[in-house]
Amino acid sequence: MRADSDTLPRHLAPDATREGAGDSYRGLVAAALVACFGLLGAVFTLNVLVDPLAIAGTGLVEPAVETDRAVKLDLIEDLPQSPEILILGSSRARQAEPSFVRRLTGHTGFNAAVTGGTAADAWVMTLFAADRFSGEPRRFIWFVDVGIATNGVNPELLDDPRASRYFSGKSLDFTLDDVATYISPQATRASWRVLRACVLDTCSNRVRYLPDGSIDQPSLRFLPEQSASLRRSVAQLVAGTRARPPRAGGRIDPLRYVYFERAITFMNERDARPVIVLNPVHPEVLAELSKHGYPGRKSALAYLERLQRRLDFVFVDAQDITRWDGTAADWSNATHVNRRNMRRLLRYVVAESDGALR
Amino acid sequence: MLFNSYVFLFGFLPPVLLLWWGLREKNLRLAFLTAASWTFYAWWDWRFLPLMLTTTMIDYYAALLIDRTDDERRRRLILILSLGTNLGLLAYFKYVSFFVDSLDGIGKALGLPVDLPTLKILLPIGISFYTFNSMSYTIDVYRRQMKPTKHLLEYTSFVALFPHLIAGPIVRYTDLAEQLKRPARVLTSRMAALGLFFLACGLVKKLLLADQLDPHVDLLFAQPDDLGFVSAWAAAFGYSLQLYFDFSGYSDMAVGLALLIGFRFPQNFNSPFKAQNISDFWRRWHMTLSSWIRDYLFIPLGGSHRGTARTTANLVVTMFLAGLWHGAAATFVVWGLVHGALLGGHGLLRKLGLTSPIVLLNRAVTLLLVVAAFVIFRAPDLHTAGLILSSMVGFGGVESVEQLRNLLSLEFAVILAVLFAFVQLAPNTWELNVRPRVAYGVAIGLASALAIMSIAEPHPFIYFQF
Repeated sequence: MRADSDTLPRHLAPDATREGAGDSYRGLVAAALVACFGLLGAVFTLNVLVDPLAIAGTGLVEPAVETDRAVKLDLIEDLPQSPEILILGSSRARQAEPSFVRRLTGHTGFNAAVTGGTAADAWVMTLFAADRFSGEPRRFIWFVDVGIATNGVNPELLDDPRASRYFSGKSLDFTLDDVATYISPQATRASWRVLRACVLDTCSNRVRYLPDGSIDQPSLRFLPEQSASLRRSVAQLVAGTRARPPRAGGRIDPLRYVYFERAITFMNERDARPVIVLNPVHPEVLAELSKHGYPGRKSALAYLERLQRRLDFVFVDAQDITRWDGTAADWSNATHVNRRNMRRLLRYVVAESDGALR
Repeated sequence: MLFNSYVFLFGFLPPVLLLWWGLREKNLRLAFLTAASWTFYAWWDWRFLPLMLTTTMIDYYAALLIDRTDDERRRRLILILSLGTNLGLLAYFKYVSFFVDSLDGIGKALGLPVDLPTLKILLPIGISFYTFNSMSYTIDVYRRQMKPTKHLLEYTSFVALFPHLIAGPIVRYTDLAEQLKRPARVLTSRMAALGLFFLACGLVKKLLLADQLDPHVDLLFAQPDDLGFVSAWAAAFGYSLQLYFDFSGYSDMAVGLALLIGFRFPQNFNSPFKAQNISDFWRRWHMTLSSWIRDYLFIPLGGSHRGTARTTANLVVTMFLAGLWHGAAATFVVWGLVHGALLGGHGLLRKLGLTSPIVLLNRAVTLLLVVAAFVIFRAPDLHTAGLILSSMVGFGGVESVEQLRNLLSLEFAVILAVLFAFVQLAPNTWELNVRPRVAYGVAIGLASALAIMSIAEPHPFIYFQF
């Protein structure tokens, strides 16, 4: 803004409606298009060949994603007898120790939670264990997020004949979304890691499991770096929530819950009453989400309430850590509790299980 | 639909370009362009399309009626009705909840037994931009600065043209009148080259620069209590650069997309961080908004012809409204008032001959003031803005190396330093001369591909919220 006696320039983009003699830009345009699509094509081809996320199914190199689904299926196969309690869920549930659950309930257990676990993973693990041990186990603790264990089927499940038989009509189709994934820098970085690790070196899984499915690494970290990194991770999540507040979605697609409901129905048919646990949220993140009304939580609670009219399960709301004496410090990062908090949480879950884990 | 999304770049744009350049007949072409632009808009939420159509039709007929009569009272009445509808809709969707909340807050602060309901009104995307485009049209006709178009499709194309529809640049009918009357019939290679160049620059600015700053800036603004002198300035500079690359990136994309369909848009940014004073900054930052508020607010209020005090008051009022235009929040209002005060102060100093002749000093002072003011613009509330600003003047102390390591990553520090040098030293998109060389094409293509690869999770443009 300036005094109105001054002029304020108003430049329009250059007039290029006439092609001047001898200054054709055709070469430039062609080069731009070839370079752009050439690079995208090259990156896409590389990522499909390396297939770091195991979605193209080329199978030339070991994928970069953690292959814990196959590992957990292996472990279930190797169990000498059926566990009495099956623990299901995503990486957030991996800290649950079956040995600690046994101390609380007297029942043996197996942790079948997997990285990025969805309802489809829980469905497979439940059916696989039931087939392996003639209908057992009959007690379940299933940790879910507000998304209620979405319906996505991990390609690794479809790739494994032990799991794929539980999905009818599912195939490893490569969709348009996968094309977008395979031109992304994340996939390209993953390809590079795979090439470096599996071609130039020897591949190895990051996470190792004990025979009962629990993690073979201590998560009780007391080093100052841990608290700094936790603080950073929480602040990042709070900032992300503040910048992109959660919004109430439209109508929820009922297809989203197919495997969730199928799995509970299957459990009910075997007289089992699963304990569904809503995963804890770090108190600072929960406070920020609550400021925005936390629509995801509301729709999850409403859905579970409706579902309880049709199916039999115990619901334990563990989102607020003060309910089960959790602490804000005992977290591995902003989204995962560490083993110490998990033990507190398991005590609460068992106490609130309404006899379903007896 | 976002410009920086696969669905736009690969699903919407190619068929639109093919059909636009494939059609021969003008009316058919403009009808197609309007329909494509409405589809582009409705992709976000089709329920708001009738709102835009209402504004479009009212202003189209209002301008014709104004032009048809010489009765000044009748002309003014029609203009008031047209502006009233535009501003009424804008006020309802953008400001009603803000004013209800403010009244509730004031009432409670005064101890009155008020409990006004919290209104949740969804803001139609782009309403601030297309309302301003449309209003300038009727005002210019009322002022007899131009004749209205009798061609409805020319007008609908002007309002809805997808490259500027959502977040500008704020285009005036006079900018596009001739271009709509005689739309380009052939996509020349130079037009295509310039279009691709601007589009590539925009994609790079948005996806490879602004979006990389986003998580770091969010992180700092989320912990205002922990910031010291260095991290508070880093937050302020980080956000200023993010906003610049985000919005000027969007503007470049809009200019590039317009060129690809044969239209020439006005420049919106001209290296604003090289400004030598606050007045100069507003000649370089969001130029189409600056010229709009100057022509339709500042000058009608009396401009700078009625003495220093009145000029200062006019500047403060104008910038207050400009702040309010950005959003219904106290932070935007205060940001506008701060800029009004700075402009008034600068005018006064200039009049008294107290401005410095040292260019570098002027640039540095302007930069620091502008960056500090952006803290108010970005902060979620005035309390947070106050905390960060107080840290910027040293009240939060200076962080230890250990604290800095926790607050600022090396990656962020490097990005900040590089981008700061870039905006100070490098020419802007409009200053670059695209020569017909294959090497330029390869650079444009590779830059576009790298940007497109980063669209895995598109971030909306910051100015979409306005």
